[in-house]
Amino acid sequence: MFGWSELVPAFPEILVLSMACVVLLVGLFTDKKKGGFIVFLSVITMMFAAILTLKDHVAGVEFTKTVIFNGTFIRDEFGDMLKVVVYLLMISVFFYAKQYLRQHDNLQGEYFALLLFATLGIMVMISGHNFIALYLGLELLALSSYALVAYNRNDLNGNEAAMKYFILGALASGMLLYGMSLIYGAVGTLQINEISQAIAGQNNDMFLVLGLIFVIVGIGFKLGAAPFHMWVPDVYEGAPTATTLFIASAPKIAAFALAVRILGQSLDVLMIHWQSMLATLAIVSIIVGNLFALQQTNLKRLFAYSTISHIGFMLLGLVGGAEGIAASMFYIIVYTIMAVGGFGMIVLLSNKGMEADQIADFKGLNQRSGWYAFLMLLLVASMAGFPPLIGFFSKLYVLKAVIDQGHIILAAVAVIFAVIGAFYYLKIIKVMYFEESETDQAIDASFDVKTVLSINALAQLGLLVLLPVLFQYCIRVTGSL
Amino acid sequence: MTLQHYLIVSAILFVISMAGIFVNRRNVLVVLMSIELMLLAVNTNLIAFSKYLDDVQGQVFVFFILTVAAAEAAIGLAILVVLFRNKKTLETKEINELEG
Amino acid sequence: MIISPELFQQIIFYVFATFTIGSAMAVVTVKNTIYSALFLVLCFFNTAVLWLLIEAEFLAITLVLVYVGAVMVLFLFVVMMLDVKQAKASQLKQSYTKAALLIAAAMLVQLLILFAYKLSGEIPSNELVRQEQGYSNVAEVGMTLFTQYVYPFEIAAVILLVAIVAAIMLTMRKREGNKQMDASKQININPAERLRVVSMKAEKATTQAQSKEEES
Repeated sequence: MFGWSELVPAFPEILVLSMACVVLLVGLFTDKKKGGFIVFLSVITMMFAAILTLKDHVAGVEFTKTVIFNGTFIRDEFGDMLKVVVYLLMISVFFYAKQYLRQHDNLQGEYFALLLFATLGIMVMISGHNFIALYLGLELLALSSYALVAYNRNDLNGNEAAMKYFILGALASGMLLYGMSLIYGAVGTLQINEISQAIAGQNNDMFLVLGLIFVIVGIGFKLGAAPFHMWVPDVYEGAPTATTLFIASAPKIAAFALAVRILGQSLDVLMIHWQSMLATLAIVSIIVGNLFALQQTNLKRLFAYSTISHIGFMLLGLVGGAEGIAASMFYIIVYTIMAVGGFGMIVLLSNKGMEADQIADFKGLNQRSGWYAFLMLLLVASMAGFPPLIGFFSKLYVLKAVIDQGHIILAAVAVIFAVIGAFYYLKIIKVMYFEESETDQAIDASFDVKTVLSINALAQLGLLVLLPVLFQYCIRVTGSL
Repeated sequence: MTLQHYLIVSAILFVISMAGIFVNRRNVLVVLMSIELMLLAVNTNLIAFSKYLDDVQGQVFVFFILTVAAAEAAIGLAILVVLFRNKKTLETKEINELEG
Repeated sequence: MIISPELFQQIIFYVFATFTIGSAMAVVTVKNTIYSALFLVLCFFNTAVLWLLIEAEFLAITLVLVYVGAVMVLFLFVVMMLDVKQAKASQLKQSYTKAALLIAAAMLVQLLILFAYKLSGEIPSNELVRQEQGYSNVAEVGMTLFTQYVYPFEIAAVILLVAIVAAIMLTMRKREGNKQMDASKQININPAERLRVVSMKAEKATTQAQSKEEES
C-alpha cells in the first residue's frame, strides 16, 4: 500500500479533513451566541494548511510535481497557488460568517464543519488528476454548499434558494457526467494525462465533441455563466449572506481549476472546439450580467449579476491561449478577493433582524463612517475596473491576451459592456457619498472582523505593489501544467 | 448485445429525465426523481462503455456515482422536507418567492 | 422449437429496455407522486436486468440493494409523510411545456441519429466483450476499487458523512409539544427558581408551577 512518502503531498487535505471532524465535535458543546473557539480552530486549520502547502516552495529549489494515489491526485505549482488563495479567502469567510451568525444568534459548529468540508472538496478538485477524483471533489463541495444555503431553516427564501441550487446543481452534475462518460467511451481512460495522450493518437471525434459539449454545459452551470445563470441571482439573494459570500468566492476558484484540468489539460487537443464555445459563453455572460445588473435594487442580486459578467471575463481569458489562461487565473483570484470583501461589507452593515442587502441601506454611509465608505469605494471601484485599482489590471491582462490572439471583436464587446457595467457600480458610490443617511446607527462589529475587512479592501490597492510578481507567478504556474 | 443498443437506451432515458426536469412544473419530488433517472442514464452509458472497452474503470466510476447519488438524494429530500414545513406545498408554480 | 442463446438475449434486452423506457416515461407523466415513485422502482429493476445482461453483476445488485432498498424507500417515506396533493390540471396545455417538449424531442432525435447511424461506421466491432466462465465481476471491481481508487473511496466516505451531517442539521428540530426529560437540567435546578413562598390569606390558595420549556 502507501508508504509515508506517498501521503506527504496530501497532508493539507488530511489536516483539513481531521479538523473538520474536530470542529464538528467541538461544535456540540458550544453556545450559539459565542462560538469563538470554533472560529479560532477553523482559522488555525487554514493557517497550518497554508504552511504545509508552502513549506516545499523554498526559493532556489526546483519544485517537481508529484502524482500520488495511483495517479488520482496531483500536487503541482498551479494547484498549490490556487490552494493558498483558497486558504486566505476561507479565513476571511470564517470571520464574516462569525459576525453574521452571531448577529442571528445561530452560530453552530455544523456551519463551520460544513465550510471546512467544502474547502476539502475545493482542494480535492484543485488536485484532481482523474475524472472520478474531480467529480467527487465537486460533489463534496456542492453537497456542503446546498446544506449551507438552507442553513436558516425557518427562512423560506433560504429554503427555496437551496432547492433551486440543488436541482440545478444536480442537473449540472448530470450533464458533466454524461459528457465524461462519452469522453471515457472515446478514449478508454479516466486519467487526465492519459486522456490527453489518447486523443492525440486517434481521430474518432464524434464521441469526444459530443462529450465536450456536455462537459462545457456542466462547467457553465457550475460557474454560473450565461445562459446557464438562472440560479445565480436567486441563490445569492435567498442564501444567508455568510453563505453567499462563501459561494461567491472559493468555489469559483475550484470551478476554474476544474475547467483548466478538464479542458486545458485533458482535452487540450480539442482546443479549437472548446475555445469557440467558451467565447460564446463569455460574451453572453458579459452582456447578460451587465445589462441585468443595471435594474437591480437588491445589492445581493446586483453582485450576483456582476459575478456573471466577471465569470464572462474569466472565460474570455481561457480563449486567449497560454497567456490567456494565466490572465484568467489572475482574474479569478483578484475577483474572488473583491467579491468576498463586497459581501463582507453587507454582513458588517447588517444587524439583528435587518439585512443590509438593499442599495438603499448604503445611503449616506460616508456620514456614518467615512472609513467604511472608503473601503466600499475601493471594492466597488475595483470591481468596476477603474484604474489604478487591481481590478483594472486584471481586466487589462485578459483583454491583452485576447487581442494578442486576434479576437479584437470579442475584446471590443467586452470593453463596451464593462463600461456600461461601471454605471451600476457608480450608483452604489453615489448613494454612499451623496445621499442622506436614513439611520444613524453605529456600525457594530468586533475588532477582528473590522481588521479582516480593512485588509480585504485595502488589498485592492496593496496588491498593486505585487502586481508584476503575482502575474509572473500566474504565467509560470500555468506554463508548468 | 451491442454498444449502440445500450447507448440508445441511455440517451432516451437521459432525454426523458431532462424533459422531466424542465417540463415538470408541478411537483419538486418528481424533479428529484428525474435527477435519479438522469444519473441512471449516465450509469448505463458508463457500464456499456466499460464492457465495450473491456476496462473496469467505468464500472468503478458507476459505483462512486451510485454512492454520491444516494447522498444527494438524502440532502435533496432534507431540503424538500424543510421547504415543505415552511411552505406547505411542493407545487413548483407556488415556489416563487424569489423572482426569476 | 429451440431458441438460440443470442436470440433469447435479444428478446430479453428488448423486453426490459421497453419496460425501462416505459416506466421512465411514466415517472415524469403520471399525476400521483406515489405512482411516480413506484414506477421509478420498476425502472431501476429493469435497468438492473439490462446491466446483468452485459455481466455487470455487482453493480446490478448494488442498484437493486441501494436504490430500491434504500433511496426509493426514503422517497416513498417522504412522499407519504408530506401528504402531497394530487396535481389538478393537465400541464400539457401551457405553451412553455410544449416548447420544452419540442426541444427535448429534437435533442432525442439528434442523439439517436448520432448513435444509431453515424457511429455504426466508426466503431469497428461494437459487440460488447463477453467474459469466459469463472470470471468474477465483483472481484474485478473490488480489486480496482481498493487499490487504484482508494483515494476517491475515502472522499466518497467523506461525502456520506457530509450527507449525514447536513440531513440531521436541516431536519432535526425540537417539537413544540414534546415532553422530553433533560437530566442535566433536572439536576442543575435551583430550588429558588421553582419554589415561591407567597404569603396570602388562607382561604384562596392557588399556586402554579410552570415547567419551563425551551422552544427553538
